[in-house]
Amino acid sequence: MKKYIGKRVLTSIFTLLVILLVLFILMQLMPGSPFNDEKLNDTQRATLYAKYGLDQPVVVQFFKYVKNMLTGDFGVSYNISKNTPISQLIATRLPISIRIGGMAVGLGALVGLVLGLIAALNHDTIWDTICTIISVIGVSVPSYVFALILSYQFGFKLKWFPMLYSAKQAMASSWLPSISLSMFTMATIARFTRTEMMEVLDSDYMLLAESKGLSGRKLIFSHALRNALIPIITVLAPLIVDLMTGSLVVEKIFAIPGVGSLLVNAIQSNDYNVVISLAFIYSAMYIAIMLVVDILYGVIDPRIRLAKEGS
Amino acid sequence: MSKAKTQAVQTFTPQKPYTPVDSDFVLKSDAAIEVDRNFASQSVWKDVTTRFRRKKSGVVGLWIVFIIIFFAIIGPHMNGYDYSAQDLKSKNLAPRVPGIERMGIFNGDEKMSTSTGTKTTNLYEEEGLDDTYYWFGSDRYGRDIWTRTWQGARVSLIIAVAATIIDMVIGMSYGLISGYFGGKVDMVMQRILEIMNGIPRLVIVTLLLLILKPGMLTIIFALMLTEWVGMSRIARAEMLKLKEQEFVLASKTLGARPFHIIFAEILPNIIGPIITQVMFSIPTAIFTEAFLSFVGLGIPVPQCSLGSLISDGYNSFTTHPYQIVAPIVVMALLMLSFNLIGDGLREALDPKMKEM
Amino acid sequence: MNKARAFVAAAAASAMALGAVPAVPAMTALADDAANDLSIMMETPVESLDPQQATDGTSFEVIADYTDGLMQMDADGQPVNALAESYETSDDGLTWTFKLRDAKWSNGDPVTANDFVFGWQRAVDPDVASEYAYMLSDIGQVKNAAEIIAGEKDKSELGVTAVDDKTLKVELNAPVSYFLSLMYFPTYYPVNEKFFESCADTFGTSPETVLSNGAFVLDSYEPAATEFHLTKNPDYYDADRVKLSGLDYQVIQDSQQALMSYQAGDLDTTLVNGDQVDQVKDDPAFRAIGAGYLWYVSPNMAKVPELANENIRKALTFAIDRTAIAEDVLKDGSLPTFTAVPPQFATGPDGSDFSGDQDKFKDVCDSDPAKAAEFWQKGLEELGIDSLDLEMVVDADDAPQKVATVLQEQWQTNLPGLTVTLTVEPKKQRVQDMQDGNFQLGLTRWGPDYADPMTYLGMWVTDNSNNYGLWSNSDYDSIIEECTTGDLATDAEGRWAKLYDAEQIVMNEAVIFPLYTQSNAEMISPAVTGIEYHPVALNRVYKDAEKAAE
Repeated sequence: MKKYIGKRVLTSIFTLLVILLVLFILMQLMPGSPFNDEKLNDTQRATLYAKYGLDQPVVVQFFKYVKNMLTGDFGVSYNISKNTPISQLIATRLPISIRIGGMAVGLGALVGLVLGLIAALNHDTIWDTICTIISVIGVSVPSYVFALILSYQFGFKLKWFPMLYSAKQAMASSWLPSISLSMFTMATIARFTRTEMMEVLDSDYMLLAESKGLSGRKLIFSHALRNALIPIITVLAPLIVDLMTGSLVVEKIFAIPGVGSLLVNAIQSNDYNVVISLAFIYSAMYIAIMLVVDILYGVIDPRIRLAKEGS
Repeated sequence: MSKAKTQAVQTFTPQKPYTPVDSDFVLKSDAAIEVDRNFASQSVWKDVTTRFRRKKSGVVGLWIVFIIIFFAIIGPHMNGYDYSAQDLKSKNLAPRVPGIERMGIFNGDEKMSTSTGTKTTNLYEEEGLDDTYYWFGSDRYGRDIWTRTWQGARVSLIIAVAATIIDMVIGMSYGLISGYFGGKVDMVMQRILEIMNGIPRLVIVTLLLLILKPGMLTIIFALMLTEWVGMSRIARAEMLKLKEQEFVLASKTLGARPFHIIFAEILPNIIGPIITQVMFSIPTAIFTEAFLSFVGLGIPVPQCSLGSLISDGYNSFTTHPYQIVAPIVVMALLMLSFNLIGDGLREALDPKMKEM
Repeated sequence: MNKARAFVAAAAASAMALGAVPAVPAMTALADDAANDLSIMMETPVESLDPQQATDGTSFEVIADYTDGLMQMDADGQPVNALAESYETSDDGLTWTFKLRDAKWSNGDPVTANDFVFGWQRAVDPDVASEYAYMLSDIGQVKNAAEIIAGEKDKSELGVTAVDDKTLKVELNAPVSYFLSLMYFPTYYPVNEKFFESCADTFGTSPETVLSNGAFVLDSYEPAATEFHLTKNPDYYDADRVKLSGLDYQVIQDSQQALMSYQAGDLDTTLVNGDQVDQVKDDPAFRAIGAGYLWYVSPNMAKVPELANENIRKALTFAIDRTAIAEDVLKDGSLPTFTAVPPQFATGPDGSDFSGDQDKFKDVCDSDPAKAAEFWQKGLEELGIDSLDLEMVVDADDAPQKVATVLQEQWQTNLPGLTVTLTVEPKKQRVQDMQDGNFQLGLTRWGPDYADPMTYLGMWVTDNSNNYGLWSNSDYDSIIEECTTGDLATDAEGRWAKLYDAEQIVMNEAVIFPLYTQSNAEMISPAVTGIEYHPVALNRVYKDAEKAAE
C-alpha cells in the first residue's frame, strides 16, 4: 500500500512540474503584452517590463517562475487589479467557487443517482428512455442557457432566489448558479449509475442474494446500490474539475466573484500572471483530486492496488 | 464479481467520454481474459447488427443523425437565403412559414415583454414584407436562421467528426502500440499518458486558442489535442485482452512483424469498442466547441456553428427567444442521438448485455 | 466490508457537499437598504484605486466618488472650484497659483498643498510608470514633467511647489487654455504622503488603505470586487450638498441579467445592450447618454499598398452606411459620425460645438454606394487589380463585433471584388496588433481625455503611437505644432480656426473612416434625479444625485 501511494504521489509531483513547463511555454507563445495600452509610450513600456522582470532572459524568467509558483508567490496582477498580489485575489475567490462547485456536485450526484436508479430498475421501458432524455438534455443544453432560464424563471418571475450573487446572502444567491452547473454532473452520474446498476443486478452474487430470499428494497439498496456506488467516485473526480471550467461562464452571468470570472477577465486583458497562476491552481487541484481518488480507490478495492503494484 | 467489475468499467462511457485511469484496465490474472470469445468477423458483425436493430432507441438515434446530416447538406440551399447575407431591413423577424401561418402559428407574430407591458407585434406586416418568409425567423442582422442553423450544424458536425477521427487514429495507435509491446515501452508511454491526463483540458484548449489564429482548423486541432487519451486507454485494454490469443500467436509464429500484427490482425477485432467510443466523443466535441464560442474563441464570423448560433441567440434570449430555439434543438437532438447510438452499439457489442 | 466503507465514503462526500447548504440561513436582502443608497450597475470591475495608476473610466468614477481634486465638474462639464478656493494665473499663462480651502482627509489630517505635490510627482515618477503620465507632460505642459518621465531629471524638479500649506504654485512650459479642466482628472488628485507610506504596497486595495476627502467614503471593497459600497462622508466640506446616504456598486457583465435586476428593482441605474433596447425604448426611464468615444476604422497605409491608394480608402469610407449601423444595429442612441473629431464634447470660444455640423465634410465622407463604386473602380484601375482581400482586426466585445459584421457585409456588397475577413481578438491584443502595425484595417475607438479637439487631432501627427496607419503630412504636423506650443496656443479663436483646417486634411485624405459616436443606453429609475453624465474624464458624478423615497 505504501509503495503504491508513494508511486502515485511521485507521478503527481512530476505531472505538476510538467504542467508548470507547459504553462510557461504557452505563456511565452501568448501573443501581445500586458502593457499595450494606447496611452503608454515606449519608455514607459520599457520601465514596466523592467519593473516586472519581463525584460530578463527567458531562462532566468523560467527559474524564477518555477521557484515562485512552488512557494506560492504568484506575483502581482498587471491589469485586472493593478499591483494586487494574485494570492490575495485568489484567496478571497477560491472559497466562493469551491462552495458553489461543491453544491453543484452534491446536487448533481444526488439527482443523477436517483435518475440512474430509476432507469436501471426499469431497463428498456419508457422510464429508462425518459431518464436518458433528461440526462442528455442535461448535457446538451449549455450551462449558460440554463443559467439564464433559471434566472429568468426563478429569479425574475417567481423571485424565489436572488438573480445575482451577493455576499450578504451568499447561500441564497448560490442556488441558481449551482443548479445550472449541476446539470452536467447530474447527467453523467445518471448514465453511469444506470450502467453500473445493470451490471451489478446481473451479477452472480445478486442471484445468490435473491435465491437466499432477499427481496425488494433491501436487495437493491443494501446489495446492488452499494456496489454500484464504488466506481462512481472515480467519475466524480474529473467531474469536479469540469465544474471549475464550467464555472467560467456561469460566474460571469451571476456576477459571482469567483476564480472562473477572474480567469475570463484575465484572459481578456492579457493579464499573464493571473492567467498562468489560475491555470496552475486548476491543474494542481485537478491532480490533487485525481490522486486522492486513486488512493481512496486503492483502499476500497485492493485488486486495483495490487494490480498497480504488479505492473 | 471480479469479472463483472472489469466489464463494468470498460463498458461505461458517459456523455463526455470518461477518461479511464489505467487502473481500470489492468488484468488480474489470465482467468479474466475471455478466451472463449469468437471474433470471426462475419458472424460477429451480423450478430451486432441484429442486436442493434432490436434496440429501438439506437435505431431512432441513427435515423435522427441521418436526417440532420441530410438537412446539413441541403438545408442551407432550400429557401434561397445565403447564410451570411444580411438585410438590416428585415432583422429580428419571428418565424413565419407559408401555409402553416394560416393556422395561427409561425405567422410572424411575436410577443415581447417590454418594461411598459407585453405587446404582440408582427414585424412582417409593419415593414410591409408580405412575401417574405423566414421559417425559423431572422437574426439581428436579418440573416435567415433556418439557413444558418443547418450551415451551423454542418460546421459543427465537420469539426466534431474530424476531431474525433483524428483522435481515434492517434489514440488507437498509441494504445495499441503501448499494449502490444508492454514492458518498458508501455511503462514510458503510460507515464506520458498520465501526465497528459493530469492537464486540465479546457484550460489548455482555451490558452491554445488564444495563441493560434481562430478558425475551423485551429478548433479541430485544439479538440484533438486533448481527446485522444480516453481512446488510447480503450485500445490498450483491448490489446491486452487479445494479444495472447491463438490467432496472434499464430501470426507471430509465422513471422509476421509487430506492426502487421497490431494493425492488420488485432485492429479489426477491436473496432467495435472504438466505434462506440467515437459515438460518445462526437457530442463532446460539439459541446466543447459551443463552450469555446461562448467565451469568444469559436469559429470566426460570418461563419457559424451550432455553438456560435447558441451564443448569439443567448444575447437576445429575453427579447427574441426564438433565435436560440432552432440551434439548441438541433444540438440537443444531435447529442441525444449520438448517445443513443453509442448506448445501442455498446449493448449490441457486449454479449453479456444480450440477455437483458 | 470494503464495500460498506466505500458506501459510507460516498455518502459522506455528498453529505459534505450538501451539508453546507442549510447551515447558513439566508439573510433578508433589504435589511440595510433602508438608507437612501443608490444602486449602480457597472460593466467592469475597478482596475485600480490608486489615482495615479488608474486608467479606466470605472476606476476614475469610483476614485472621484471619494476624492476631490482642485477642480470638479459642474453639470455641463465646466471646471468649478473644489479643493481650490481660488486661483490666479500669470499674464503669460505660464504660472498658476491655487489657494486651497480647509478640507480634511478621512483620517483627520488636513488636505495640504504638499498632498498635491506628492500626487503629481508620483504621476511622473518613472518608478510608478503611470500610464497617464502624459496628462502632465504632453497635455498639461507642466514644467519638467517630460524630462522626469524620460528619467532625465529628478521628480523633485517637477514644476509644482507648495508655497505654504494652503498655496500651490504650478509652472508650465507653454500656456494651456484648458488647464483648469485637467484639474478634475484623477491623475492630478492629491495623495497624503504619510498615509501612503504607512500603507506600503497595499495602497488602494481595501477600505483601510484609501483616504477620502470627497463626498463619500469607501467602506467595503476588495481588489476587482463585484460589489462594493461607499457611504456619505459626514466630514466632507460640502456635505450639505450630498443627498444620498451611499453608493452601492454592483458589477454585472451579463447585460440581460443587468436589465432583469433593474426591472426587479435591485438596481437604480443600468446600462442596456442594443438587443434589449427594443424592450425598453418606450420606457420613460430609458435614456441615451453620450459617451464621447469616437469609433473609427483605421487603414494601415504604410504596410498595405492598396490602402495607400486614396481612391480605395475613399471607396471604403463612402461604402459605409453609418446611419444603419447606429440606428438599426446599435440602437443605443449612438450618433452616425462623419468627422474626425466627434460632436458633443468640445465647445469653442464662440460657444459652438466643434463638430456640431456633421455635413461639413460631405464631399469627402458620406454614405453613398454609387460614389463608393466609382472611387473603387478608379482605385482598382490605378492599382491594376480587379479584386482585393482585406483583413480587419476587431475587439471581442459585443458592440464592435456587431458593427464589424455589418461593415464587412456593407463593404462586400457595395465594392465588387472586395473580400473582408474579420479577426476577432481580445481588446488588449487588438491594440497591440495595431501598435505593431500588424493589421490591415482596424476597428478602434478613442475617448476624449480633455474637452478640446486636440485630444483627437493630436493622434495623427507623424510618429504618434496612436497614429496606427502611420500617415504623415507635414502641413498637418505644423498646424498641430503651432496650436500646441506655438503662437496660436494663447489665441483661442485663431487656434480654433486652424484646428478646423487640420481636421479637413485628415478627412480629405481619408486617414480614418469615422463611424459613430458612442452613446450608452441607460435605464435610470424615475425615483432618481441629478446624476451628472459626462463624456470626458468622470463619466458619472453623484454629488447632486437624489433618490426619492419609495
